[in-house]
Amino acid sequence: MSRPTGARVLVVDDEPPILRAVRAYLTRRDFQVETAETGAQALDAYARRRPDLILLDLSLPDLDGCEVIRRVRDRGNTPIIVLSVRGAEQDKVAALDLGADDYLTKPFGVDELLARVRVALRHAARPSSGSEAVFRTGALEVNLEQRRVKVAGEDVRLTPTEYDLLRTFIAYPNKVLTDRMLLQQVWGPEYGGESHYLHVYVARLRKKLEADPQRPRYLATEPGVGYRLLDQEG
Amino acid sequence: MLGLLERGTEVSGASGLRAACGECWFGYGVALLSIALVSAVIGVVTKLVSISNISMLYLIAVLAVAVAYGRGPAILASAAAFLTYNWLFIHPRTTFTVADPAEWLALFLLLLVGVLAAQLAARERDRAREAEEREREAVVLYDVVRLLSGADLEGALPEVAERLRVEMGLQAVAIEIEDDTGATNRAVAGTMQETRFTPPAGLKSSGDNGSGATKRLRVVSPHPRRRALVGGQQWMRVVPVIGPQGRAGDLLLVMSPASERYSPSRERLLGAVATQLGIAMERDKLRRQATDAEVLRRANALKTALLNAVSHDLRTPLASIIASAGSLRQTDVDWSQEERREFAQAIEEEGRRLNGIVGNLLDLSRMEGGTLRPHKEWYDLGALINDVVGRLRPITARHRVIADLPDDLPPVHLDYVEIDQALSNLIENATKYAPAGTQIGVAARMSDSEVRVEVYDEGPGIPQDALPHLFEPFYRAATEAPKPKGTGLGLAVTKGLVEAHGGRVSAANRPGGGGRFSFTLPLKAPMDATPARPHR
Repeated sequence: MSRPTGARVLVVDDEPPILRAVRAYLTRRDFQVETAETGAQALDAYARRRPDLILLDLSLPDLDGCEVIRRVRDRGNTPIIVLSVRGAEQDKVAALDLGADDYLTKPFGVDELLARVRVALRHAARPSSGSEAVFRTGALEVNLEQRRVKVAGEDVRLTPTEYDLLRTFIAYPNKVLTDRMLLQQVWGPEYGGESHYLHVYVARLRKKLEADPQRPRYLATEPGVGYRLLDQEG
Repeated sequence: MLGLLERGTEVSGASGLRAACGECWFGYGVALLSIALVSAVIGVVTKLVSISNISMLYLIAVLAVAVAYGRGPAILASAAAFLTYNWLFIHPRTTFTVADPAEWLALFLLLLVGVLAAQLAARERDRAREAEEREREAVVLYDVVRLLSGADLEGALPEVAERLRVEMGLQAVAIEIEDDTGATNRAVAGTMQETRFTPPAGLKSSGDNGSGATKRLRVVSPHPRRRALVGGQQWMRVVPVIGPQGRAGDLLLVMSPASERYSPSRERLLGAVATQLGIAMERDKLRRQATDAEVLRRANALKTALLNAVSHDLRTPLASIIASAGSLRQTDVDWSQEERREFAQAIEEEGRRLNGIVGNLLDLSRMEGGTLRPHKEWYDLGALINDVVGRLRPITARHRVIADLPDDLPPVHLDYVEIDQALSNLIENATKYAPAGTQIGVAARMSDSEVRVEVYDEGPGIPQDALPHLFEPFYRAATEAPKPKGTGLGLAVTKGLVEAHGGRVSAANRPGGGGRFSFTLPLKAPMDATPARPHR
């Protein structure tokens, strides 16, 4: 069995049987699954692993699930799907208003769960990206579900940090992102002054993606501020 | 509304009439006697000294008679004084002729003053008597209001009836009221044959006619039509009681021949008592409604707690089961043997967990419904404990479970399934609160009359304020760290099951830290099963 190479999913639930079932299922669907049983573990895993998507139970032993949503949203817009036995309308509204992207009431069918995971990844790629979680601009093509990057139809191998940086740009197409913001999104909240890291990785990304790294077509420099992903189609 | 009967001379007459039954003839006798006595005194005095207007002495007697016996004897005394003085002391004596015209004046003044004084004194006497009656009336009414103000209307009715009967000197008093639920309350004081409860047809309508739509309380007038001759010599009076929804019953009075006749004050009293009965019924109805509302509110709170518990604790294992089964069902995935085994195991374990929750819910509802009846047989308690510890191994996998049982445990009379459940709940409870890796102990200790089964842990212990509530349904002790899973039913169910066996449950903190839950079972078989009931 080959190692899964798809999107990284963090599953947070205090019920080990649920964790085991969801992990087994999603792993077979080629996702890289990370699990956490408490809110603290979830936030730690989020900071360490920068998942592409979070499946979150609201009833956690230490933190309330809503608090986890709030803290994740302070750091980024990773899609969050809530899995909860709380089926009341106000619970759903509260979680969605806090920044959750979707809400699935337990018990759920695994096929529905998978479909909703795909939807969330698709929306993360771009609001109007059809039925696939694929971001396209020019010759660049990023499949967020499979974590695959292509330029002009050719696979490009990215390191995890390079991929995380590219994904952050994709989340905010055409918007100027400051050095500090990019550092915190990709490396973690304790970073902020280490702009040289960022310059190194942006240079590597350009080398792998741009036809002419000296005159970037995708990753533009905003002098004195930061960078911007140019997306003519968006 | 009680002013239907005007007070006035006729009233006074009526109360005078009441006195005209023997006592009054005595009064007339005393009047004549007192005049004779005064005449003798005047005779003796005039022999010794000559005093003009000595006849005024008669006025003292007239006033005394008026105060003591009322108007009639006093007027008789005045007339007697007039005649006697004329006959005995006015010249020419032993005739009714008067020689000196000036004496006429004195004589007529005597008569006039006597009659006037008699009137005034008698009126005062009537007033005093009336005031006394009103006071008695007020005291009776106060007693009735006090009796009716309690929470138990049904219990107060016989006392009210008896108080009325004694106060009015009646043979019997019956109160018959029907509340809004259709239940009839009947209280009888004194002797009254059952047949007399049904007054003649015309009597029933007395509360409904007259005031018409407003349905005000009316006192039945003492007109003969309103009285029914019952059982030959007994008079029966019916006073309607007007409750929250119109006529709600009757106050029935059976008079014996010796009973005092009705005075307006009696009518007033009866009317007031009937009003109070109506008010008490209204209050009783409101109280019952308030109680019903409270019962309903509590039932709702319990239902909400149950729904929350059901929604969370039934759905959680269901979610694992459905996710596992859904994964197994995938046609395009070739699960390995190990993966299949894990899914199946999850389905089985979670199914058992669901079964435990459903079992607790059912037990709880049987306890609440009072239908819990243990089917007891003689069992080896040690074997039961070992069975439970073995069966719970998947749940206690993160803890070290130690069973500490004496070798000579005698057989115990118990329902195996229920005590199994009671002990399982205690052990599961310990696994929820005690940290992983700590020890959970199960011990049994014998005394003369009972065996005590203990489950102790090395967890954080029980907060002091939680101790009294631990065995209440849906109660969850607030702990600092992780909120434990579960319905909050386990301990409540254990308590119910153990009490149905005639045992007790208790919880305490161990001196060295951790909690200790225990229950006792009687060693001798009780005569019969004790149903689950609240304790403490």
